[in-house]
Amino acid sequence: MSGVSIICFAASYAVALALELTRLLFRSGVRGAIMLAFGVAGLFAHTLYLFYRVVESYQSAGALGGPFASQKEWYLIAAWLLAIIYLYLTCYHAKVPFGLFLLPLVLGLIGVGVFVADPRPMGREPASAVWGLVHGTSLLLATVAVLVAFVAGLMYLGQDWRLKTKAAISSGLRFPSLERLQQLNSRSLVIALIMLGVGILSGVALNFTRSPGQPPLPWNDPVVLVTISMFVWLLLTGVVGAAYRPARKGRRVIYFTLVSFVFLVIALWSVLSNMTQHLGRGGWRSGGTGRTAGVVHRLSIG
Amino acid sequence: MNVHVVGCNHRSASIAVRERLAFSTEQARTALREFRDRFPGVEAVLLSTCNRIEFYTAAETDSSPSLEQVAGFLARFHGQDLKEILPLLYEYHGDAAIRHLFSVASSLDSMVVGEPQIPFQVKQAYQVAVESQTAGPLLHTAFQTALKVARRVASETTIQQRRVSIPSVAVSDFARQIFERFDDKRVLVIGAGEMAEETIRYLRAEGAGDITIVNRSAERAKELAHRTGGRPLAWEALPQALATADVVVSTTGAEEPIMTVQRFAEIEALRDQRPLFILDLAVPRDFDPAIADRPEVYLYSVDDLREVCERNRAERDKELPKARKIIDEETLRFAADWRHRATGAVIQQLRADWESIKEEELRRLFQRLSQLDERGREEVRQSFHRLLNKLLHPPMESLRDEARHGFPQALLDALSKLFQLKD
Repeated sequence: MSGVSIICFAASYAVALALELTRLLFRSGVRGAIMLAFGVAGLFAHTLYLFYRVVESYQSAGALGGPFASQKEWYLIAAWLLAIIYLYLTCYHAKVPFGLFLLPLVLGLIGVGVFVADPRPMGREPASAVWGLVHGTSLLLATVAVLVAFVAGLMYLGQDWRLKTKAAISSGLRFPSLERLQQLNSRSLVIALIMLGVGILSGVALNFTRSPGQPPLPWNDPVVLVTISMFVWLLLTGVVGAAYRPARKGRRVIYFTLVSFVFLVIALWSVLSNMTQHLGRGGWRSGGTGRTAGVVHRLSIG
Repeated sequence: MNVHVVGCNHRSASIAVRERLAFSTEQARTALREFRDRFPGVEAVLLSTCNRIEFYTAAETDSSPSLEQVAGFLARFHGQDLKEILPLLYEYHGDAAIRHLFSVASSLDSMVVGEPQIPFQVKQAYQVAVESQTAGPLLHTAFQTALKVARRVASETTIQQRRVSIPSVAVSDFARQIFERFDDKRVLVIGAGEMAEETIRYLRAEGAGDITIVNRSAERAKELAHRTGGRPLAWEALPQALATADVVVSTTGAEEPIMTVQRFAEIEALRDQRPLFILDLAVPRDFDPAIADRPEVYLYSVDDLREVCERNRAERDKELPKARKIIDEETLRFAADWRHRATGAVIQQLRADWESIKEEELRRLFQRLSQLDERGREEVRQSFHRLLNKLLHPPMESLRDEARHGFPQALLDALSKLFQLKD
C-alpha cells in the first residue's frame, strides 16, 4: 500500500472530472455511480498517500511530524479537503455538477504541490510547534473555505446566467438554487474569516515565540500584508453586509467573493515566488539546519 | 376475488355530470353509512375527485352489488335520473378492478398523467372508509397495496417528476431554481383567475404561507383569498406589495402591461436587490419583457414555460410503458397472494390434523423410549417437525402455483377429499 503515488489519486480525480464534463454532452444512468467510484478511489489513495507521508516523516525525523511536513504536503492536504467536500456534495446532490467546479481546483492544488511547492521536509521546535500547527491548520482551512466560497460564487453566476437567458430551460444540467448557493458562499466566507483571524493571531504568537537568535518575520512581509488585507476585506464585507442589506444579496456578494479569491491567489503566489521571507526564505532559514521556529509557519500560506 | 368498481371519470362523463355526482368528505361519510345499511357485509370505499367518482366494493361471497344497484344508489343519493347516469358509468371486476385501482392511485388514469395529488386523494378516500367502518379485509389490502404501488411507480419511473401544466412547471422547474424554500417567502398573486388558483395550489404544496392576492375586482380577490387561505389587497397597493414580494404570479386579462420598466424602476429601489421571480402567465403579458434585464429579476412568460411542458410531456410518455409494466406485475402478484391467502383455511386444517398426528406419535414413542434424556427427546421432536414441514411443502407450493393462474378450487377440493379435511 505504501506504493501509492500521486499519479494514482490525481488520475482518479482526472477521470472523475472527465466524466463530469460528459454531463455537458449526454445523459447517462450509470455515470453518477462510476464518477463516484473514481472519486472515492481517488480519495482513498490520497488518504493513504498522506498517511504514509506522515509515517515517513516520523521515521526520518524521529518525531511525529504532523500533517505539515512540507509545503508540498500543505497543498496536497488542501486538495484532500476539497476532494472530501466534492464527494460529500456529490453524494447528497448527485444531479448537480459540483465536480465541474471543484475537481479542477483539486487537480490544480495537486499540480502546484507537485510542480511548484517546496518538497523539502522541515523540522520543528517544541516551543513553536503548537503555534505553528494552529497557524498552518487555520490558514489551510481558510484557504479551503475561500475556495469553496469561490466555487459557490461561480456556480451562482452560472445559475444566474442560465436563469436570465432561459438556458436552464433547455439544459440538462441541474444547479442548486440561487438561495442555496448564496448560503454556501456566505457560510464559507464566515468560516474563512474566522480561520484567517485565528491564523493571523497564531502567526503573531509564532513570531514572538521564535528561538533566540532567529530574526523576526517583518510585519511588512508581502504574505503577511496580503493575508491581513484579505482578513480586513472579509471583515469589511461582513460589516457592510450586516449594516446595508443590499450588500449581502445577489450578485454583489459574489463579486466580493471573487475579490477574496484574488487575495488568496496573490498570497499563494507570494509564498511560491520567493517574494517573501515568510516561509524561511532568505534570513529565516539561514540558520543552517532549517529546523527553525518558523518551520511549521513555513507551510502556511499567510 | 370479488372486488368491483363502478364509476365515471373525465373520459366517460362531462364535468357537468361529474359535478352532480361528486361527494364532499362529509357526503362521502353519509353515503358510506347508507351504503353499509343498504348492502350489509359488503366492503366499500368511495373515491371522489374533480375527475372521477368511483365506488369500490368487495365481498367474501358473490354478494357484491351490481352496476345497476350501485348506479341506483348514486342516483338516489344525489337525486339524479338513473337512466341519465347509467350509460356514463363503467365497471371492472376482480383483477381488472385491482389493476384499475392501481392505475388510478399511480395517476396513470388521470387527466394529467403523473399528477401528484391523486395518491393523496386515494389515501384520503380509504381513510374515510376506514373511519366509516366500510373497509374490510379485502379493500384494506387492496388500498394499502395500491398506495405502495403508487410509491413504486413514483420511485422507479420519472412519471411524477415531470410536470406538464404551466403553473406546476413554473413552480417546480423555475421557482425552485431560485429559491430553496418558500415558507419564508412572500408570494404576490395578481389576478384571481383559474391559473392563479392553480399556481397558488402548487406554491402551497411547496410550503408557501404568505400569499397576497391583488385584483382589480376586490370581490374576486376576496373570494380567491378565502378559497386559498391568502390575503386580499386593494389594487392600488400593488406597488407596495411588489416591493416586498419574492415571488409574483401575474394572470390578469389586461390588454396593456400593468407594469412598465419605468414603473418597476421606482419599485426596484425599495427592494434591497432581493431576487424576484416573476411568473407572467397573462396573455398579453402583464410585465414589460424589458424588466427581465433588471438585476436580480427572473421573469418568465407562458411561452418560456410551454417549451418545458411539451418536453416533459414527451419524457413522461416514454415512461408510461414502464409504469404500466409495474402495474401489471403488481396486479398479478396481488391476485396470486390473495388467492393463496384464501387457501389458508385448508392449509391450516391440514397442518392442524398432521400436527395432532405428530404429537400423538411423539407421545407414544417417548413412552416406549423412556430412557431418552431431554436432549434426545428434543432431537426427535425437531426431526418430526422437519418431516412434517417437508411433507407439507409440496402441496403448499402446488397451491401457490395454481393461485397464480386463478383460484385453485379443484386442488383444494382434491386436498380436502384426499386428507379427509372437515369444513
